[in-house]
Parts: sequence; C-alpha cells; structure tokens
Amino acid sequence: MISPSTATSGPDIAFRKVSKVYGNAEGGFVALDKVDLTVSRHEFVAIVGPSGCGKTTLMRMAAGLDFPTSGDVLVRDRQVEGPGPDRAVVFQQFALMPWKTVRDNIGFGLKCRGAAPSEIKQVTDRYITMMRLQGHESAFPHQLSGGMQQRVAIARSYAVDPDVLLMDEPFGALDAQTRLVMQEELVQLSRVNPRTVVFITHSVEEAVFLADRIVVMGRNPGRIVEIIDVKSLRLSERWDELPIEEVMDLESFTHMRTRVWKLLKDTKRSTAA
Amino acid sequence: MAQAVRAGRRGRAGMPQVVSRGGLLSFLVVLGLWALATGPLDLVGPARFPSPADFWQSGVQIVTRGYAGGTLLTQVWHSLRLVLFGFVVASATGVGLGLLMGLSPRAEKLINPTFLLLRPIPPLAWIPLAILWFGLGDAAKIFVIWYAAFVPSVINTLTGVRGVDRTILSAAEVHGASRSQLVRDVVIPAALPMIFTGLRLSLQACWTTLVAAELVGAFFGIGRVLMTASQDVNPGMILFAMVCVAILGAGTTWLLGTLERRAMPWRQA
Repeated sequence: MISPSTATSGPDIAFRKVSKVYGNAEGGFVALDKVDLTVSRHEFVAIVGPSGCGKTTLMRMAAGLDFPTSGDVLVRDRQVEGPGPDRAVVFQQFALMPWKTVRDNIGFGLKCRGAAPSEIKQVTDRYITMMRLQGHESAFPHQLSGGMQQRVAIARSYAVDPDVLLMDEPFGALDAQTRLVMQEELVQLSRVNPRTVVFITHSVEEAVFLADRIVVMGRNPGRIVEIIDVKSLRLSERWDELPIEEVMDLESFTHMRTRVWKLLKDTKRSTAA
Repeated sequence: MAQAVRAGRRGRAGMPQVVSRGGLLSFLVVLGLWALATGPLDLVGPARFPSPADFWQSGVQIVTRGYAGGTLLTQVWHSLRLVLFGFVVASATGVGLGLLMGLSPRAEKLINPTFLLLRPIPPLAWIPLAILWFGLGDAAKIFVIWYAAFVPSVINTLTGVRGVDRTILSAAEVHGASRSQLVRDVVIPAALPMIFTGLRLSLQACWTTLVAAELVGAFFGIGRVLMTASQDVNPGMILFAMVCVAILGAGTTWLLGTLERRAMPWRQA
C-alpha cells in the first residue's frame, strides 16, 4: 500500500474500516467505529454530526495529525503516515502565525518547501489578489478582521497547491454575514481551483450550499448514518447560477436542508436513548 | 515641558518615565522637602543623610578626582562591564537550556531535577563559595551574576516553549514545516514574549547581585564605592552611588525594552 500506483483512478481519500478507541479495548470510548468513506478526485464532501461523533478525528487522520486504532486511511492510495503539504488544513481558529505578515503567512508552505523567492512572490501575489487582501500584505494577523484572517488561512492552504484540502469548521468563528460571504467565495474559489475538499461543519445550510455529498454522522459510537448526494440536485436546479441568499430561498434547497436536519435530529434521539 | 510630556506618553514599560506634569511636580516637591529637611529646618543631621549640596560635592569629587580607587567612569564601567558580560552569558545559556528542555522531554527529565534543586538557592548565598573558588576578583562576580540571571531565563523560556499554541504547530506541520523550521518559525517566536519577560527579570537580578557581591569584597565598582563611603561615613557619596545604580539599572532595562520591541514588531502595530 506504500507504493503509489501510477494510473490510479481510485478515490483521493479512502477510510477503510477506520476505528478509534480511547482507553483499553474493553471499557474504552469508541470515537469511531469501522468507518468506511471514500472521497473522489475534486469532490467536495461535507461532514455534519453532533459533537463527539468523531468528525474532527476523521479529518485529523486524513491530515496525519491523528491515527486510527485499526483500519486504514489512504490519500491517493498512500497510507497516511504524517502531515504533508499534499493535504493542507484550514482550522477553525485560523491558526495563523501572529509574528508573520499576511504575505509571509501565505508563503509559509512554499518557503518550507524551499521555493525560490521569486516563485513565492508570484504565488502569494496571486492569492492576495484572489482573496482580496491587497493593501494588507504587510499587516500582521491581529490587525485584520476574522473574515480576512480566515481568507489568509485559506490562501495559505491553497498556496501549497495541495491535492486535498481539509477544512475543520473554517467559518465557525465568523459572524453570520461574513460567513455567507466566505461561503460564496469558497464556491467561486473551488471553481477556479478545483480541489478535493473535506469540510467539517455544524451548519446544515453551509453543508447543503457547499457540498457535492453530505456525510451525516452519529455518535456513541462515532459512525456514518447516511451519505446524501447534493450534486445532482445542485446541477439540475442550477444553484450555481444564483447568489447564495437566493439559493437558500429555493424550495429544492430548503427541502434538502430539512432532510439533513431530520437525520441529525434522529441521530441525537437514538444516542440519547 | 510639552516635549517631556510627549516623551512620557511614548514611553513603555521598562523605563520608568515619570515625566507627566503631575509626576514632575511631585518629584520637585520631594527635592524641595529634601533641601528643607537637611538645610534650614535641620531635621536630619549631615552624618545620617546628605544635603543636596553634599550630594553634589560628592558627585563632583568622584567625577573629577575619583573615589575608592577610581573616577566615576572607571567604577561605573567596571560594574557595567560585569553586569553586561554576566547577563549576556546567562541569557545565552539560560535561553538555550530552556529551549532544550522545552523541546526535548528527554533532556527535561535529565536536567530538571538538578535544576529544581539548585533553583531555590538565592544567588547571594553563592557569594561565599564563589569567593572561595575565584577570589575577590571579577571571576567570582561574573559567576554569581551568571547564576542570578540564568535561573529566570531558563524558567521563563521553558514556560514560553510549553505554552506554544498546538494548533499553530499543527498548521505549520501540515503546510510542510520540518522540525528545524518548526523551532525557528513557530516555537521561538511564540516563546519570545516569555523569553523577554525572563530576560527582564534576569537583568534586575544581575544588578542586585552585582552590588551585593561588590559590597562583600571588590577592588573596583559601584559596590566598592558604596562600601568605602559607608566606612568613611560619607552619606553624600553613598546616595550618589545609589543614584548611579538606579540610573544604570533603568538605562539597561530601557535598552532591553528597545531590543524587545525590535525583536517583536508584530506586537507593536
């Protein structure tokens, strides 16, 4: 499993019977119970679920920041053994380096890779423009609003040109309006720069608006309850041609939203019992 | 005056810049009371506390003719040199050891027990042993100053390294940082505020320890001036030397503050 097969058309990310148990096997807490999930190339998958369902653990495993007790986590047919710039992560708390300017934060991954200064300049320039950060290149993170800080973090992740983008509630710390703007920007960004994305969120609306597929998870033990296809609906209802607030008003959208909500509600009931 | 007020506003923690209008006024009042109490009112005898005139004459004496074996410049330079040398060596070794212990759990396990044992010993308690080992010369003083400054440097650096934000470390890792890049680009800058807190404490400890060590026995230095003046019953010279120590302490602290602001530009804006 270590050697990558060249002409692979397989999934970008594959979780195979992934379990995570804390404590000993007998009385331990089962954070994830034999989870199977594959994410195709350039697919946008959103994971929703109550706290404690293991969605963040799943994402951290793909990032190489956490490891399963049993089962395999494969990224492009390669067993994940640790973090790497082929899988960039956007964190809820932005996780920018306060001591680096906007430009140096965005260029950090390239610098780590040993890229030439001219290349770093060129790439950071591109993302500064794309994320509308012009004029703030030399600012430090704390001088920016939350929305701008998260745009810097997203730019930093895109700048390393990863195969896979892992986003852990990236808009969770933002106010409602900024959140809407960022959701729309993310859709536009993924049109220009298609990437395989795993996106964790608490917001059902956000999941329905952004994702090709929604993975609904339940807890105790952490497991996948259902996987819902949104892509075919988005394409047939032409969501992509409308601004976000109008999409969120469409009957097709609200229907889908209600469906996911109900699933989540049922999961919570079944765990409570 | 207006300029002094502005300078006061600009000043930051470190240099005690008491140059607000009220501060200046109260300072002048204290000076006036001093002159009155030691002069016309004759509340304090000249053998106990000097008058402003005594103070001034002592200053003139040590600057022009010298006192306790040297002029002011010689004595100040001698003390300053020891403090700076001890401080630089202590910071380098202290911050280094703090980083090592913070980064390597194995090093911490190995070193920390010994360090915890030595840590509660006050620096001044080392003076007798230092004199036995190194005599009354500079080596003994440098050793004691080094010890005094070393301990706070280690503790604060270690605390700073331990407090590094895990998420920022993870973020650097997932964007491809190697271990040495993590140390250089994340751990050290993140620990820098605590490191400087340690250095400020170290610097204060340096001056305290130096004066004490020179009081115990020295050939030159501000402490030697203080000791000689005490034996000569020369309150004017004692006060003058005390003021010199205060100015030197404040000056070096201000320099360190300037360095701190240069080192952490992100904390300014």
